[in-house]
Amino acid sequence: MKLLLVEDEPLLLEEMESYLTEQGYRCEKATNFEEGEDKITLHEYDAIVLDITLPGGNGLKLLELLKKQHKEAGVLIVSAKDSLTDKLTGLELGADDYITKPFHLEELNARVNALLRRKSFSGHNRILIDDLVVDTAAQEVRWKNDIIGLTKKEYELLLYFIVNKNRVVSKQSIAEHLWGDHYDMADNYDTVYVHTMNLRKKITAFTGTDYIKTVYGMGYKFMLS
Amino acid sequence: MKLLHRTTRDFLSATIIILLVTGIGMYLLLQKEVTDEMNEQLAFQAALVGEQVATGQSTGYPFAQVTKTMDLVETPPIYGDTLLYDLVQHKKEDYHYLDLVKRIGSDNYHIKVMTTYIGWGSYYKTIFYLLLAAILLLAASGVLINYFSNRKIWRPFFLNLENLKKYTVSSPAPLQLQSSPITEFKELQAALRDLTDRSHREYMALREFTENASHEMQTPLGIIQSKLDRLSQLDVSEEMARHIVEAKSGVERLNKMNKSLLLLAKLDNQAFEGKQSIALQEVIEQHLLMMEDLFAAKHITINTRLTKATILSDPYLCDVLVSNLFSNALRYSGQDGMLNITLWPHQLILANTGEPLDFPSEFLFDRFRKSSKNIQSTGLGLAIVQQICLLNDWEISYRYEDGQHVFRLGF
Repeated sequence: MKLLLVEDEPLLLEEMESYLTEQGYRCEKATNFEEGEDKITLHEYDAIVLDITLPGGNGLKLLELLKKQHKEAGVLIVSAKDSLTDKLTGLELGADDYITKPFHLEELNARVNALLRRKSFSGHNRILIDDLVVDTAAQEVRWKNDIIGLTKKEYELLLYFIVNKNRVVSKQSIAEHLWGDHYDMADNYDTVYVHTMNLRKKITAFTGTDYIKTVYGMGYKFMLS
Repeated sequence: MKLLHRTTRDFLSATIIILLVTGIGMYLLLQKEVTDEMNEQLAFQAALVGEQVATGQSTGYPFAQVTKTMDLVETPPIYGDTLLYDLVQHKKEDYHYLDLVKRIGSDNYHIKVMTTYIGWGSYYKTIFYLLLAAILLLAASGVLINYFSNRKIWRPFFLNLENLKKYTVSSPAPLQLQSSPITEFKELQAALRDLTDRSHREYMALREFTENASHEMQTPLGIIQSKLDRLSQLDVSEEMARHIVEAKSGVERLNKMNKSLLLLAKLDNQAFEGKQSIALQEVIEQHLLMMEDLFAAKHITINTRLTKATILSDPYLCDVLVSNLFSNALRYSGQDGMLNITLWPHQLILANTGEPLDFPSEFLFDRFRKSSKNIQSTGLGLAIVQQICLLNDWEISYRYEDGQHVFRLGF
C-alpha cells in the first residue's frame, strides 16, 4: 500500500512517516502545495493524508485536482481547525474522512486503515491474526469457527489494538477513540481498564494466548507471538 | 424617578412658589393702595367736616362725629380699624376711621370720620382662589405639554434605549439608531455609535486573536503529543514512565481547552448558520448509548422520559450541547448517583444527584469556572452550552433542589 503524506510541519511529518512505515505502508512526503501537486499528478497512491493549511495554497485545492484527474486514492483530511465548514467542504469535495490536530498516531493509522478497507473491493474486510479472524464487514470476531461474543465497544477496542499491533497504545488514545473527545478523560481511564480487561479475558479464554499486554503506567500493547 | 415626573415636579414646585410670592405681594400692595386711598378720602372728609363746623352748619356725613373737647392741643390724625354693628345685615362690619383733634375758631374739636370697606378676608379669598386656579392650570398644561413632547421628542430616545439594551458587542449587525432632530440626542447617538463600533472592532480583534492563538497552538501540541507517544514506545524505567504519563495528561488538558476555546471563539461568528430541524430525542439516545458504559462504571442510574421534540439548530452544535450537558452530569454525579432526563416538546430537563456547588450558582456558566474538587476539567463546557443556547435563542437555567443539580433548557 502506498501513501502520500502532505504536511508542512517537518517534525509531525517525520513522526507520521516513521509510524506508518512501521505499520507496513510505503510513504511518500510532500511539505508544500507545489510538491503535493506534482506528486498527485505523477503518481498513484492508495491513500493520501492531506493537511489543508499548506504553504503555497489550500489543501482543498489539491483535493479538487485529485478528483478532476479521476484518481482512486482515498483522502484523509487533516486540519488544525476543528471547523465544520472545512469538514463539510472537504467531504463534499470527495474526501473520505476528516481528522483534527492534534491527534494520536494510532488514531491516524486506524483511520487510514479503515479508509483503505472501505476503498478496496476485494475481501480486505477480514483481518487474520493466527487463527483469530476479525470480519470488519460483519463486525464479528471468530476463533477457528466459534464466534467470540464481544460488545460493540470491545469489538472496536480489539480492532484498534490489532490495527496498531506491537505499539503501546495509551489509555488516552483509547478513550478518545471509543468516546470521541467530548467526554471527560479523567473518569474514563477506569472504564478503559474495565473494557480492556474484559476483552483480554474473552480473547484469552478462546485462544489460550494473552495478546494484550499491560505496559506499566503507559497503556496496553497488542503483541503478536 | 422618571424624567417626566422629575421635570413636572420641579416645574410644579417652582410654579407654586412663584405664585405664592406673587399672591402675597399682590395682597400687600393692594392693602397698601386701598388704605392710602381711604386715608386720603377720610382726611378730605375730616377737612370738610371741619369747614362745616367752622361755618356753623351741621355735618351731613353719616359716619362723622364732631364733639367739643377740653384737650388743649391738636393731635395729628390717627388711623384705625373698628367693627360696627350693622342693623340691616345683622352682622358686624369692618370700618376704617380717622381720629383727630382740630382747632376750629377758639375751640378744640374732636373729629372722627369713618368709612366702610370690604373686609380683607374677601380680598384674601379671592386672591387665593385665583392663584389656585392659576396653579392648577399651569400644572395641567405643564403635564400635558410634557406628556406630548415626551411622546414626540423622546420617542427616538426610548427606541434607541431599547435597541441598546438588546445590543451585544458580539453581534455582527451594527447598532440600529433612530434619528432625532434634537441636538443633544444627535450627539448622544453619535457617541453611542462610535462607542459600539469601537467595542465591536476591539471585540473582533480579540476574538481573532483567540482563534489564531488557539489555532497556532494545535500543531506544536500535536508535536508534543506524538513525541510523548514515541517516548512511550521505548523501554523506559518506571519513574520515567510516570513522568511521561503526567506530561501527557497536561498536554491532553491543553488540547481540550484549546479546542473548547476555538469553538467558543467561533460560536458567535457566522460559522454556524446551517440550522436544520433535528429530532432531539434521537441525539439524546445516541449519546446515552455511547456513554452508557461510562455511567455504568460509576454506578449511575439513568431514568429517561423522552417525548418527541424537534428543534432547529446546527447539528454539530446540538451534538456538542447534549454531550457537554451529559459529561457534566457524569462528572458531578458521584458514585451511585442518579440522572433523570426528561424531554418535552419544548423543554429538556436534566437532573443529577450530587454535592451542592462550592461557588455561587450565577457563576456556573462562566468560562473557566469549575468546582475546586475537579481541577481536571477545563471549566468551559457549560460556557459553551450557554453560548450555544444564546445563538439558538434558547433559555437555560440552573437550580439546586432536593440534592439535585437541575438544568432546564427551553427551546
